[in-house]
Amino acid sequence: MTEKWKDEAWAQDIWYSGKVTRRKLVGYGAGAIGAMMLVPAPWRAAFGAAKPYKIGSEQPLSGPGAIGGKTAVVGLQMSADRINANGGINGRPVQLVLVDDESKPDVGRRKSQKLVEEDDIDVHVGGFLSNICLACMPVWQEAKIVNMITVCLDTTLTTTHCNRYTFRLHDYAPAQAVAFGPLLAKMGKKWHIAYADYAWGQATRDAYAEEIKKNGGEVVGMTGIPLGTPDMTPFLSKISGNFDGLFSIFFGKDGVTIINQAYDLGLSKKYKMAGDGSITEPTNLPAQGSKVDGFVAINRYIPIFQGPLDTPYNKKFVEDAKKRLIAVDPSGPAPDKYVQSNYEALNAMKIAMEKAKFEGRKDTDKLIGALEGLEVKLGYDFPQGDKTLRKADHQAFLTEMIFEVRNGGYKLLEAVPKDKTLVPPACKFTA
Amino acid sequence: MDAIAHFFGAIPFELLLIQTVNGIVTGMILALVASGLTLIFGIMDVVNFAHGELFMIGAYIGVVVLATTGNFWLALVISTLLVGLLGAAMQILTLRPLIGRDPLTTILATFGISLILQNYALWQFGPTSRKLPEPITSSFTLFYLQYPWYRIVITVISAAIIGSFWAFLKYSKFGVWIRATTQDRVMAQAMGIPVPWVYTGVFALGAAMAGASGMLFGPLGSINHTMGLDWVLKAFIVVVVGGMGNLGGSIVAAIFISLLEAYAAIWVSPAQAVIVSFIVLILTLLFRPTGLFVSISK
Repeated sequence: MTEKWKDEAWAQDIWYSGKVTRRKLVGYGAGAIGAMMLVPAPWRAAFGAAKPYKIGSEQPLSGPGAIGGKTAVVGLQMSADRINANGGINGRPVQLVLVDDESKPDVGRRKSQKLVEEDDIDVHVGGFLSNICLACMPVWQEAKIVNMITVCLDTTLTTTHCNRYTFRLHDYAPAQAVAFGPLLAKMGKKWHIAYADYAWGQATRDAYAEEIKKNGGEVVGMTGIPLGTPDMTPFLSKISGNFDGLFSIFFGKDGVTIINQAYDLGLSKKYKMAGDGSITEPTNLPAQGSKVDGFVAINRYIPIFQGPLDTPYNKKFVEDAKKRLIAVDPSGPAPDKYVQSNYEALNAMKIAMEKAKFEGRKDTDKLIGALEGLEVKLGYDFPQGDKTLRKADHQAFLTEMIFEVRNGGYKLLEAVPKDKTLVPPACKFTA
Repeated sequence: MDAIAHFFGAIPFELLLIQTVNGIVTGMILALVASGLTLIFGIMDVVNFAHGELFMIGAYIGVVVLATTGNFWLALVISTLLVGLLGAAMQILTLRPLIGRDPLTTILATFGISLILQNYALWQFGPTSRKLPEPITSSFTLFYLQYPWYRIVITVISAAIIGSFWAFLKYSKFGVWIRATTQDRVMAQAMGIPVPWVYTGVFALGAAMAGASGMLFGPLGSINHTMGLDWVLKAFIVVVVGGMGNLGGSIVAAIFISLLEAYAAIWVSPAQAVIVSFIVLILTLLFRPTGLFVSISK
């Protein structure tokens, strides 16, 4: 039964006639190998001729951080797909190896170790929560793997805790504070700072307190509220007195809580409200409703087509991101800074890997050399704009957007060029 | 005398009164969450790790029903009923087969359910926080603050739900069955009480209370997949301090701990104030492990 096909006329010539000789087999085989060598690079990569680069990424895909982690991965995947569609890096495709840190530092550290030892990644592009980034930095340093941070904002990552393997292509609080300081001084002289009481919130608080003072203002009080406090009212009730503005530093669901509860207690009517742009990410706006109207904030990226963001590159980026975001969020949000920075970080890594002719971990030193001082330009790879990755501390400087939230959207007030956000480096690299 | 006068003079009485109101409001929300938890533990010996997720599901159902009907109070009733039904289904499908087994199995089962529900919500609703608009937006002047009436309404509703539940336990036939089952499960069964269905009913009631509290608290914050975690940790502390399974004790403990935290926030930082509840928990476990308010009638 199974051999019947061999009797068919069409099969006689190729198989059953006994005409497949050893000479023919060698000839056809050599022809096939030669043909494969001649096909263009993208096809070689697609057919698996090239070993993929393993890009490890530790992200919070569950737990409280998942609110941003889910969108962060969208940016990373967008970049990886785009790189692979355009021939990969050095003719090799990229393969993302994602791990879920569950929004916990101990889990993050363990999973990072797994990326190094079991998955054998070439580079790491990721990190969302600052306390997890800080916990994982020694892992990348010990393994001598380049770590491109994509979201973590804690100042010390590129200052007191810096190391030569870690880079940050996005902004940090001191640069934002330098950019925002002059406008805050115009808004009011006396400020009270309410902040998320953990690594990032404390570092950001210090940066703003310093800039407010430098611009002739005064910080009359500070209220640190633990992460994930569902009812902030007992702590916000204490905020009173004679001052002009309440500056808030929170992110994720805490950003919604502070806006809603400060409004409910009448603080938003009594004081000018300003703060870190993480409070007003697109994923938070629906839950804040009209209570956030008039809030002035700073962020590296907001999904608008105004000022320096009114470019075909940003329009394409927003359009592509929206198509993907709807798969992780049925409400179809616009891309936030987490999508943007993950997208751009991997694109920057591609440029550096090509420049360094990076083949694997053995070339880490060459890759560090290529990343140090890297300049990237506005385009489809970098829709947010130009960036400079400073050699002295591996910290990037970029345009900052100061905006007001109104009617569920953003109105750009000022775009501060990257040169006006510079702060002196405060990092000493060790081995 | 001067020192005493100075001490009393240094107390900000306005803030003290504001914090008393805050402590009672937060305490009543916490009491509603904790009473469901303690009820389930007291009767079934089940530590329900999915209680926070039932709280969260209640809020999400509220968002959907409110968007459809536009009526907050109707959404409150429907979400309470649906979460109660979900609780009944959970008990029948996962916990009933575990009756009589090692308590660790029920802990693992409810922990597994909590992960499923949390990730289901993230998958179904996405990472964008949702809003539940409060049905009452007016406020009154409380010294230097504008205090929202809705917070007072929550307190009253929570007290009403807990009071109705207490009356239900005391006077209804099912309440008598529940109390009998709590006292002696084997004897209750021997007397013809359908113990498995009592368990199912109790779990459904506890779940419904979590759903109601999620819906009531929703307008004060944001609706997201982890919103229950923040409340349930404190609810566990309340249940231990109040005496495991002691309904009255849990309510008193919820108000006691919330007031302590609110008063502490006057003098110390919020991070230190939050530690107060943990200190109370540790002291309770050390010196009165049966609960601080165990003498209060169950």
